[in-house]
Amino acid sequence: MNRTIGLLTANYSTSGFGTLTEKRPPACIPFGGRYRLMDFALSNMVNSRISTVGLVTPYYYRSIMDHVGAGKEWGLDKKEGGLFILPGTVFGLKEENAHLLLRDIIHNSNYLARGDGDYILVSGCSLVYNMDYQPMIAKHELQGWPITILYRKTKHGEKHRGYYLTLDENGTVTGIQQGKEGENLFMDCFLIDKSFLLRFMRDFRALGYMDFMDIVRQNLDMIKVNSWRFDGYVGYTDGLEDYMRSSLDLLNPEVQQELFPADRQIRTKIHDTPPASYVPGSVVKNSMMTAGSVIEGTVENSIIFRNVRVEKGAVVRNCVLMEKCVIKAGAWLEYVVCDKNVTISPSTCITGSPEHPCVLAKDAVI
Amino acid sequence: MRKKECVAMLLAGGQGSRLGILTQEIAKPAVSFGGKYRMIDFSLSNCVNSGIDTVGVLIQYKPFLLNKYLGTGAAWDLDASWGGVHILPPYATQTGGEWYQGTADAIYHNIDFIDSYNPEYVLILSGDHLYQMDYNLMLDFHKLMGADLTVAVKTVPLEEASRFGIMTVNDDMRIVKFTEKPKEPDSDLASMGIYIFTWSVLRQALLRDHDDPQSDRDFGKNIIPGLLGEGKNLFAYVFSGYWKDVGTIPSYYATQMELLEANPEFRLFDTRRRIFSNLNEHPPHFIGGEGCVERSLVCNGCRIYGQVKDCILSPGVTVEAGAVVTDSILLPESSVGAGAVITRTIVNEGAAVGAGARIGREDKITVVGDGSTMEV
Repeated sequence: MNRTIGLLTANYSTSGFGTLTEKRPPACIPFGGRYRLMDFALSNMVNSRISTVGLVTPYYYRSIMDHVGAGKEWGLDKKEGGLFILPGTVFGLKEENAHLLLRDIIHNSNYLARGDGDYILVSGCSLVYNMDYQPMIAKHELQGWPITILYRKTKHGEKHRGYYLTLDENGTVTGIQQGKEGENLFMDCFLIDKSFLLRFMRDFRALGYMDFMDIVRQNLDMIKVNSWRFDGYVGYTDGLEDYMRSSLDLLNPEVQQELFPADRQIRTKIHDTPPASYVPGSVVKNSMMTAGSVIEGTVENSIIFRNVRVEKGAVVRNCVLMEKCVIKAGAWLEYVVCDKNVTISPSTCITGSPEHPCVLAKDAVI
Repeated sequence: MRKKECVAMLLAGGQGSRLGILTQEIAKPAVSFGGKYRMIDFSLSNCVNSGIDTVGVLIQYKPFLLNKYLGTGAAWDLDASWGGVHILPPYATQTGGEWYQGTADAIYHNIDFIDSYNPEYVLILSGDHLYQMDYNLMLDFHKLMGADLTVAVKTVPLEEASRFGIMTVNDDMRIVKFTEKPKEPDSDLASMGIYIFTWSVLRQALLRDHDDPQSDRDFGKNIIPGLLGEGKNLFAYVFSGYWKDVGTIPSYYATQMELLEANPEFRLFDTRRRIFSNLNEHPPHFIGGEGCVERSLVCNGCRIYGQVKDCILSPGVTVEAGAVVTDSILLPESSVGAGAVITRTIVNEGAAVGAGARIGREDKITVVGDGSTMEV
């Protein structure tokens, strides 16, 4: 069997998050109560039996290193393979909406050339989904083309900035366009033959500043590109509105089942907090709650991270409260995203809207 | 020779028959407690929090889940290169092999293991007590007194003293008499089953005990009275913190229910002396639109569509719509079917209460396993 190694690009940013990404890459945005966005891509890789993963780090890499450590929780602290921390090339720059700059690959060609794998699965870190890559890898291997691109069919009215694919009836990629809407949306993930990639790097070295997908797009007549469609749930986090929607999607039991099946768990850094405590008087409806929290007030349609405290009489609706937030007695929050360790003073009222959730910066005291 | 000051030996081989259904398939120290914990977590966490990084865990009865749970010891930061958790089952030798015959016999068969760390002191623990204790303070006391054996004791009401091993001490806490379950106790100091021995003294005592065909090979019955008879220095160390034996169904149930009180004596949320566990792989828990949770502890991975009041829900528990669960403890991965009404019930690990079931009564504690039920 051919071996696949992973390359995870955690070094790109978007501007749509405001203070949430002031000191952390989007890859590290807390999501879903106890995860960070990158957990999904990284877990998908290890759950697909990819046991060598290179992680391209961004300028603000403290939170990434804090989170992944030696890769223990993902089973990547190994003798054979494991987690490799790779420097990104975008240091000092803000690369907006890039997917994979060729120079990031060139910069880390040693990791790729080590001889560990025959295929390289390249993925961004911002999508929320749970997928077994093995069938896609098997098809890639069987067909023998150099690149297989992962995409999904968009739903009616859906708008996301990204690359859209034109496919023929066999799923061959005949065109790639950048845009805001379309039918076949690239999922920031593709599989490529290592030998092809190493050759590609040599041939296009001068275009290192370009996005890998743009180079492929311009050379589709020379490169055979296949596609693989993913039909499951995908949560987007391109900006605050998307983040809010994807967070609240987690309250749908079907989405929960898809994202967190028992046999393909999303793994994350373990904090080992005590159980959540519900104090008399608490009212909690339709919410995702995490261990370590103490709830005395009302929580509805919300995502509560660990060690959050909602005091008596406080009301939290349609909110995302990250770890260690304290909502004091009588405060009222609707459509608010609280970054870590935010304290809301007693009887304070803050409301946003689904389209424009109010975001409170880390450590804020309001 | 390289030396560890103190090695802990955790007696985890007992069946725990007083827990009935709960220990039918797993050893007592592996029984779930307080939601996400297993009983052994408390002693192991105490070791780590006391800086003791070498723990031998003596196993014998149904050890599979316990072994799996302990793993490399990493969950307690006990995956050390010199030290860490060591699982010590009975073993065969060239001259045959036998089961551990008693608590002292289990240690006797692991003299080589202890010798390999060349310790000054050995701490003997059991895996079924709920307490937070700094063993260093006890070790300091042991050294200060120049003791050969220090027994941790707890003051109990005199009328309950006949249920315990009772230490009679003189003014400087020297143990002068030890009586197992005395009918007429003359002291209120009960042994907590926590001992610190000076290893050379214990080693000798174990060898001698092994040669005595009459011995029950038990610390309480043989080793301690033996040392007392020899005039060794035995001292009682009074522990004033919270300590509960959770080895019976009523105490197992009652101690957990105490965790729901406004300011429980046992401080799960204490961040300075954390309790570590190895049940951490679930997503957050979800409370549905019709679900309702009151005065309860709920772990990750639970899915609650029914009503839950005064309960402890371990990881991965499901409560279906219309179910009403009160004053109950649902152990990991158990479930309560739609419309079921259960009260004062412990639902065993992985057990499923069927839809519409009525279980539990006010005057008893009901324990439900898959296919079996008992009332205590």
